[in-house]
Amino acid sequence: MERESLDVDVLIVGGGPAGLAAALRITQLQSERGGEPLSVAVLEKAREPGAHILSGAVLDPSSLGELLPDFVERGAPLAAEVRRDSVYFLTRRRRLRFPVTPPPLRNHGHYIVSLSRLVRWLTGQVEAAGVDVFAGFAGAELLFDGNRVIGVRTGDRGVGRHGEHKPAFEPGVDIRAPVTLLCDGVRGNLTKQLLARLPLEGRLPQVYALGFKELWDLPAGRIGAGTVVHTLGYPLRSEEFGGGFIYTLPDNRIALGLVVGLDYRDPHFDPHAAFQRFKQHTMVAGLIEGGQLVKYGAKALPEGGWYTIPTPYADGVLIAGDAGGFLNSLRLKGIHLAMKTGMLAGETAFDAVRAGDASAGQLAAYRQRLDDSTVRRELYPVRNVHQAFASGLAAGLAYAGVALLTRGWWFRDPWPGEAGHEHLVKRADYYGSDPPPEGASSNAVKPDRLTTFDRLTNVHYSGTRQEEDQPSHLIVHDTDICRTRCIREYGNPCTRYCPAQVYEMVDDGEGGRRLQINASNCVHCRTCDIMDPYQIVDWVPPEGGGGPRYEGM
Amino acid sequence: MILVVAEQRDGALNKASIEAVVGAQQLGDAVKAVLFGGDLEPAAKELALSGVEAVLTVSDAALADYTADGHVIALEQVIAAESPELVLLPHTYQTRDFAPALATRLARPIVTDCVGLRREGTTVTFTRPMFQGKVLADVVVEAGPPWLATVQAGAFKAEALEKRSSPAPIVPVKVEIADGAIRQRPEAPFREARQAVDLTRADRIVAVGRGIKGEEHLEIARGLASALDAELAASRPICDNGWLPMDRQIGSSGQTVAPRLYVALGISGAIQHVVGMKGAKVIVAVNKDPEAPIFEISDYGIVGDLFDVVPAIIKELSA
Repeated sequence: MERESLDVDVLIVGGGPAGLAAALRITQLQSERGGEPLSVAVLEKAREPGAHILSGAVLDPSSLGELLPDFVERGAPLAAEVRRDSVYFLTRRRRLRFPVTPPPLRNHGHYIVSLSRLVRWLTGQVEAAGVDVFAGFAGAELLFDGNRVIGVRTGDRGVGRHGEHKPAFEPGVDIRAPVTLLCDGVRGNLTKQLLARLPLEGRLPQVYALGFKELWDLPAGRIGAGTVVHTLGYPLRSEEFGGGFIYTLPDNRIALGLVVGLDYRDPHFDPHAAFQRFKQHTMVAGLIEGGQLVKYGAKALPEGGWYTIPTPYADGVLIAGDAGGFLNSLRLKGIHLAMKTGMLAGETAFDAVRAGDASAGQLAAYRQRLDDSTVRRELYPVRNVHQAFASGLAAGLAYAGVALLTRGWWFRDPWPGEAGHEHLVKRADYYGSDPPPEGASSNAVKPDRLTTFDRLTNVHYSGTRQEEDQPSHLIVHDTDICRTRCIREYGNPCTRYCPAQVYEMVDDGEGGRRLQINASNCVHCRTCDIMDPYQIVDWVPPEGGGGPRYEGM
Repeated sequence: MILVVAEQRDGALNKASIEAVVGAQQLGDAVKAVLFGGDLEPAAKELALSGVEAVLTVSDAALADYTADGHVIALEQVIAAESPELVLLPHTYQTRDFAPALATRLARPIVTDCVGLRREGTTVTFTRPMFQGKVLADVVVEAGPPWLATVQAGAFKAEALEKRSSPAPIVPVKVEIADGAIRQRPEAPFREARQAVDLTRADRIVAVGRGIKGEEHLEIARGLASALDAELAASRPICDNGWLPMDRQIGSSGQTVAPRLYVALGISGAIQHVVGMKGAKVIVAVNKDPEAPIFEISDYGIVGDLFDVVPAIIKELSA
């Protein structure tokens, strides 16, 4: 098959905060230092810049200010400055306010933003600087020469459901570059390919959480912009990690959400139902009553911290942002770290192209830059926090307090941790002789369709659109396991942790059940790839352009 | 004056063009229609009866086969000569192909997929869906005329056409198309191997959902469809299973329809389906679950097993 190919100096996969910061930093170095102009390309699988971007989000503007000191004058869309901060512990019926907001959760000087909008704006800045942003193209495959990364193959277009070529078939393009920056986000498919091939894994396995978010329009005058509320406790039990958030935006709009650790034990726990319960709590229900749901989305986030970050470089390749796990789970912030790591990766890539050497030896300068920067200064002291929370909420909070005094030191360092899916307990072990029916949720909610919804309705509000006539991009390597082992052992937890009803167990017409994959519902959150207890699910990108439309999220 | 850009292929007028005329008539202004192509006579005659003041026909060898460039060049000249206040286009695939280029050429905004038009003083307010139909937004174009807008299929009912007793004059119009100005070379129109069904043209639709349980039970729905002289359609799970081809799927990832009668059999009424059929004039739902959301939008709801209800309806219809 004939493929087109394209050569650039630096290829960046992923048009999020990390990738765009990298691109912009390269163009800045270019104009500072002159010389032969570098060609830089950014691949983004969403059709519109920012359409696959989902975050809370409270922005620590330190990296943005470093990258673009005049970001305010340039019209960066910062929805509201944070004016009020509070943290609550929720019980089923009550809320208890923390007397002092813990220092990591103080947001004075930060902004409430729509990260999707910010990324859209940043894309404009990057394009104006002369970078080609290819929106609607997904990086499908890393190209290797031996163990050296030499570029990326984009996904084919126009492939039918059974793999046949439709009339509009176009093979993917090979984009070759001496340096490829993987900024493909949490559990990025290309970063996953790289880590499977080369021994780059961090000291501990990465641990993830799943974040749900909704935008609501409220009756006028109910609440002003600039309030940040975080919650712990209900609807999660102490064995489940996570918490809720409410951020208030201008024009009577709020963002609210729930983050749930993907290391829960109860195989019948349902994260989406937990999010509905969060909205039923009097504190939230009173706020959104009479309001209108505007948008829904869900996305995984890397919570593991310093010890889970892989070696972020190899021959011809660098990893930045969520793809590398650069997120501070104690501060609940990753945007500034994504941007900072992107900038440092951009600097390293620039030097490598100038030096004509993109070997791992040359690119190791990236690690040095990370160690000398705010990235290590911020992440190292909290290196054991998430693993401590895995021992329960009380242990986590206690450790988080102690760590503030000891700069993260603890008798066991690293605090041991395992991959989140290994925490999932089999039905028989969790429930003994009387487990719930296979398809049931232990925390089920009957949606009222005013403030609480079923998954399918929620998916509609994510704006997700995907070509239906294409092969499933959720690859389950052995669907026999689903109907024989998993149904018995775990009760098919995919039907509960998927926030978009991609996975359903349906009648197989022979008295049993079979797995049905509704691939076109997928909001690209990666939870199935992460949480599947048998690790037989691979998320690969669907045809470029498909996916959620998170404008305003 | 409002200029409606009608669409024809091989002499047959696209029904959506008539709907655009209806939308234009609602604004109470004079309406002209324009047609492009080679042999325009049959379509022009049909249009002349639709209540417009005049039908402009632009017949040119260079326009015989559709190209985006050809349409843009010709329309630019027609708009310059006629100076309409509003140019209204049906939101068809063809319009979607050339209308953005036209807007760019004229350096004007374009309001797409409108479901409502309202005159307010010297301006026109356009209503268009946002967030996949969840919200209707009123849009006013701040720049002066000509305004460009496309109307959604089914938003205006062809039956509401205010016809005239005598046909409107058909006025041939000449345009200049320079050699080489058309940069596209049209090929024969692509056709799906299987003849694609255009459900948007159907007057009556019988749609089946998961409640049908098995492919073998589709016959019962086919029976009702033929008794009603209706097209058969489905919600996504049915097409996903391959029980019906994908071009019979109604909903956000399928077709959007607005027939006079829509019978939903065993369809729960997930919002993804509802956005594709809520414009139907009369909705009849049959479902076992009295709490199924489909009943919220139904004109007639029957709580019951479709395997009991449908044969009874068929029997009644054929009695």
